Amino acid sequence: MRDGDREDRDLHRRLASGDRSAFDELYRRYAGSAYGLAYRVTGQQILAQDVVHDAFMALWRAPEAYDPARGPFRTFFLALVHHRAVDLVRRESRLRARSERAANLEPLVGEDPAEAIAEESYLGVRRKEVREALVGLPPEQRQVLEMAYFDGKTQVQIAEELEIPLGTVKTRTFAAMRKLRASLEDAG
Amino acid sequence: MIDRHAEAQELLAGYALQSLSGEDAAEADRLLAEHVPGCSECRQMLDAFQAVAGELALDAETIPPPDPLLPRIHREMEPRGRSAGRWTSGRLVAAAASVVLVVGAGGLAITQLGDRKTAQVPAADVQELVDFAIHHKTQAQTLGGNAQEISARGVQELYVYGRGVPAPTPGFVYRLWAVSAKDATHLRDFLPYPDGTVLVRLAVDPSTFDHLLVTMEPAGSEPLVPGEPAWPETG
Repeated sequence: MRDGDREDRDLHRRLASGDRSAFDELYRRYAGSAYGLAYRVTGQQILAQDVVHDAFMALWRAPEAYDPARGPFRTFFLALVHHRAVDLVRRESRLRARSERAANLEPLVGEDPAEAIAEESYLGVRRKEVREALVGLPPEQRQVLEMAYFDGKTQVQIAEELEIPLGTVKTRTFAAMRKLRASLEDAG
Repeated sequence: MIDRHAEAQELLAGYALQSLSGEDAAEADRLLAEHVPGCSECRQMLDAFQAVAGELALDAETIPPPDPLLPRIHREMEPRGRSAGRWTSGRLVAAAASVVLVVGAGGLAITQLGDRKTAQVPAADVQELVDFAIHHKTQAQTLGGNAQEISARGVQELYVYGRGVPAPTPGFVYRLWAVSAKDATHLRDFLPYPDGTVLVRLAVDPSTFDHLLVTMEPAGSEPLVPGEPAWPETG
């Protein structure tokens, strides 16, 4: 286990006992990643804020939701953020509007993306590993993966948009996930 | 015949990404209920895919959230264990959220008769409960048997949720009644999942009855009047 993961578990344990400073430290560590993810999925600042708000409130109210035996806190929490973000996007039927904006996300107001918050070094290392793993995927596999994960699209929607059979989308997704799993396990 | 593992794992990949819909989502739910719990290979694959889904988040740029967000969260952070009876501790959401993360998004099934082979609560049900708990000022009422009624004033919806709920006597089911001063109305029969979890969503207005009652009744019997409480210590 990496030092950062071990520290996260300790912070989570303290948070579970009601330690607000541990909560704040986890917020400091993951709010940026969570907001970045939520913003990328929802494409709107206000929705991204709601997603991050709800995720951290759920963490505070329900710290037992994280089971350390199942893996790092990071993957638990960011998966929770992703789940909520996709759920929100679909619930509010914003996919079409987002597609029209394509990659042109709503410009951030009052925030300077270059002013990245200080990131723990271990998280930076893992981020680099994830990006390298993604870059290592065949382009057609990466495409369906990103459309599903970051655009919140269903496999049916992806098949329609790319004009390829649904089975092909499934096959590419499966292959991409297996490759990512292997790459990320090898990396750490 | 299609390779069951390959078919299941292909669905699990989409499931972990929350990209299934329609028949595929329903099929994934079915596999998660009937195949995955008994298949270590598929369980491991699901865990691995869930982990990948968590790691993928790191591909998004880190963006500092707006400054007012943390103070907003601080304002809403209630102290732990502040009020007995009113559910704010999140134990419910805790359990629920953990199931969500294990299972992902699922269908709309609820705890039902005949689902005893179903090992896990469908994640979509749990997500509904989590959302209910987050968006309403909920209160919990103990029903006994490790089960609770979760409701919110003015909301025509409530949940019966429990973990470690004992299975009824073989051949019997649990039966939910809405009890008021003048009568008792049968709401639903249910069985715990094999892991002891109960999650039943009821589209009823909690202000229309006095309390819920759970009885144990022979399966298939006509629900005319409630029998003895299933959990007499609180029933």
